[in-house]
This record gives sequence, C-alpha cells and structure tokens, in this order.
Amino acid sequence: MSGTPIILADAVTKRFGTHQVLTLVSLPVMERDVVCVVGPSGSGKTTLLRCFALLELPSEGRILMEGTPISTAEPDRQIKSAARAVRSEIGMVFQHFNLWPHMSVLENLIEAPLRVKKMRRDQAVAMAEALLAKVDLSDKRDAYPVRLSGGQQQRVAIARALAMSPKVLLFDEATSALDPELRREVLIVMRQLAQEGMTMLVVTHEMGFARHVGTRTVFMDRGEIVEEAPGAAFFDAPKTERLKRFLQQFEE
Amino acid sequence: MFKYQFRWDTVWGSFDFLMGGLQMTLVVSAATLVLAMIGGLIIALLDMSRFRVLRWIGISIGEVVRNTPILVQLLWVYYVLPIVFSIRIEALVALIIGLALYQAAFISEVYRSGIQSVPKGHVEAAQVLGLSPLQSFRRIVLPQAIRMTLPPLASNFVQLIKFSSLGAVISVSEITRRGMELSASNFRPLETFTFIAVVYFLICWPLAMAIRLWERRLQAR
Ligand SMILES: Nc1ncnc2c1ncn2[C@@H]1O[C@H](COP(=O)(O)OP(=O)(O)O)[C@@H](O)[C@H]1O
Ligand SMILES: [Mg+2]
Repeated sequence: MSGTPIILADAVTKRFGTHQVLTLVSLPVMERDVVCVVGPSGSGKTTLLRCFALLELPSEGRILMEGTPISTAEPDRQIKSAARAVRSEIGMVFQHFNLWPHMSVLENLIEAPLRVKKMRRDQAVAMAEALLAKVDLSDKRDAYPVRLSGGQQQRVAIARALAMSPKVLLFDEATSALDPELRREVLIVMRQLAQEGMTMLVVTHEMGFARHVGTRTVFMDRGEIVEEAPGAAFFDAPKTERLKRFLQQFEE
Repeated sequence: MFKYQFRWDTVWGSFDFLMGGLQMTLVVSAATLVLAMIGGLIIALLDMSRFRVLRWIGISIGEVVRNTPILVQLLWVYYVLPIVFSIRIEALVALIIGLALYQAAFISEVYRSGIQSVPKGHVEAAQVLGLSPLQSFRRIVLPQAIRMTLPPLASNFVQLIKFSSLGAVISVSEITRRGMELSASNFRPLETFTFIAVVYFLICWPLAMAIRLWERRLQAR
C-alpha cells in the first residue's frame, strides 16, 4: 500500500454517553479500493460509516480526506471549512434509500448538483439522464419514489450519490432492506461501479460480494477491527476465533 | 313534546337576515384562520428558538391559551385589552384576535408535528450530498411538512366555524347572534335554533368528511 488514502479513520473512538461504540478504529481506504466491512449487528459498522460521512463526530481520533483532517471531536475553524469543501465528495447510500418522496426521480438526482454545485439545469439534467441509463432506470425518469420497487429506489439512490461525482462512496447495508430477489439488481450496479474503479467502503452481509468484488474485507466486532485480509484470503484463512465463528454462520 | 304547532315560516321570513349572519361567520372564520396560521408560525419559531427567553415566552403563551376557556379569553380580549392599552376595540376585531390567539397555540403544534413527521434520513441524505441546513429545510423538510399540515389546518377552519358562534356573547352579528335576536322577536326559539344547528351541520360535516378522506390518502403515501 502506498500513497495517501482517499479517506482515513485515524484511531477513531466513539461514545454515545457512556456507551463506547467504536474503540480506536483505524481504517484507510485507498483509491480504487473496495473495502468491505462485515460483523455482527451492533458492532459499530453504521456508526463508523456515519463518522466517515460526517454525520457523527468521533469522540476521539480523526477522519482525514486525502491527508487533510475533516473531522475531530472538537473541529476548529480550519477543519470545519475543510469539511465543507469536501463534504459532497463523500457519497453515502443508506439502508433505507432515503429518497425524497416529494420529488420525481429526476428531481432527486439534480437537486444537489443544482443547489450545491450550481450546475446549469440542462447540464444537470443531461448528467442525471446518463446516470439513470447507467443504473438501467431511464424509463423511471419522471416517476415518484413511491411508485418504485425497493431495488429500483436503491438504484436511484446510488445514481443520486453519483451525481455529485464523489471520490468515495459509502454503502450501509444497501441491500439489507430488500427482498432477496431484488438484491441482485443492486449488487450488479455496485459491482459495475467497483469495476469502473470507484473507491468504495461497503458495510454488507453479502459475503459473495465481499469475496468476489471486495479488494479487502474488514471484520468488526464490539466496536473494534478484529481482523482484515485481502479478497478470498479473508474467507479461506481466517486467523481469529471470532472471525471463524462469524463466518460459520454463513455456511450451510 | 305534544301538539307543537311548527311555524317554519317565521324562519323563512328571516332567511336573508340569517344568511347575512352566516356570511359573517365564514368571513370571521377565514380571517381568523389566516391570522392564526401566522400566529402559530411565530409561536412555533419561539418554541424552537435558540434563546431561552424566547422559548420560554413561546411555551408560556401556549400553556396559558390551552389551559383557560376560550370564552374567558374572548371576554378578556374584548373587555380587558381596551383598558390595559386604553384603546377601543370593535367586537368583531376582538373576536378575530381572541379566536386567532387560541387557535394559533394549536396550530403551532400542527407545524411542529409536520416538521417532525419528515424522517431524519431524508435530512441526512441532503446533508451528505452537501446541502446546507437552510437549503435542506427549504427544499426537503418544508415541502413535506406543509403537505402534512394542510388537513389539520382545514380541520382548524371547521373548528373556527363553530367557535365563531361565541361572537354572539360580545354581540358580533354572526349567524348565532342573529338567531338569538330573531328568536327574541318571533318567540320561536325551537324553529330558529334548529335551523341554525342544521346550517352549521351542513357546512361542517361534509368538510370534516372530506378532510378525513384527505388525511387517509396522505397516510397511504
Ligand atoms: N445515536 C445513538 N445513540 C446511542 N447509541 C447508539 C446510537 N447509534 C448507535 N448506537 C449504539 O451503537 C451500537 C452500534 O450500533 P451500529 O453502529 O448501528 O452497529 P451496526 O451497524 O454494526 O449494527 C449499538 O449498540 C447501538 O445501540
Ligand atoms: Mg448498521
């Protein structure tokens, strides 16, 4: 591994009141990396992603983007302005999609480019249409989110995140809320993004995705990173007892 | 009730007089609603203010208004306000101010729950995409919150139609007051007040039904 990580958690500890949820988590994500995070529920995966997405402040430690600190427990002026500058370069896809129901699919996609990037409307629309084609939803351009299946909504949410041309995309169990038969269409889009070189940090229960698409997989348990390994090695040669036991759940 | 000789003609004879009162009822209700919507917004903003004193004022107004009878508030505005500020207040103005104050306290809650009905995730999605808090409030929260507040506001209008009958006490010439005047001269309270009750019902009931349907459709979304 060389160079500066696109995004880096540097010894992040997070407490809610007295409840410690993350303990000294350090995790670099390099350019074109697809880092998968697995672990039992309640182990702090969502909280870690939310720290990366600047939705939570760490209690200790820092988040850095391309070497610049963008989040600490008590961010000073400089860190706050750095965070503002890069905020929209960190995209996030949520478990429950969080599309805006009062806007059509197209409006969901162009909202941030228009308001945040001050993009021209015709430009934003053209880009949104290209993204919809990419996630295979061109025919839903003017539909409202309620009219879409969960899988379609999640693909729109991915397109909406891509519309800001993020340098890294965070996925928080993007397929967990979906019926099994709808997961595939979302996973296909995610795999395609990985192949195009998108830098991704993916919290998931899809072990197939982690094994075949992930460049590296991280195992979290009780707020700590217990073990990590590249690609198939993670699954074929787990070192710790905790990971072995966790992986057993996924074997038939 | 035995052998009562109905004399509906005494009511028909004064139909225009009563309908004039109905017009006043509707005007008062509409004007009050507009004023109460503005007042409710002010109270809601006070409630959510960053400053303790303002929050305290907002909460106090709400508590006082909700925990005293509306009729007493009305009498207070009509009889006490003029003394305190040594001004003359028309009965009509006092009625609108009194009702609006009362209704504003409830409408501020309507606004608050409308805003709270917008899922946190929608705001977080906006935040991650880089929208400022103000942009996200204007573009994401407000449009959804307004949609949720419209049916309750319509319900408030129905309530106001009924509450405005309290204007009779301070001699505002709305339909109830005119009914009182009419029955005092025709000695036919049964016909007169039955007719007036039916008029209220025919206006309020269909509105209430329509609002219920509307709300159900919003829930289904
Ligand atoms: N806002 C919060 N306030 C208090 N506790 C929280 C909050 N968010 C998460 N937690 C707690 O942190 C722990 C880790 O949660 P989470 O990060 O969602 O885990 P995971 O995504 O791995 O299931 C859980 O015990 C959860 O109850
Ligand atoms: Mg989670």
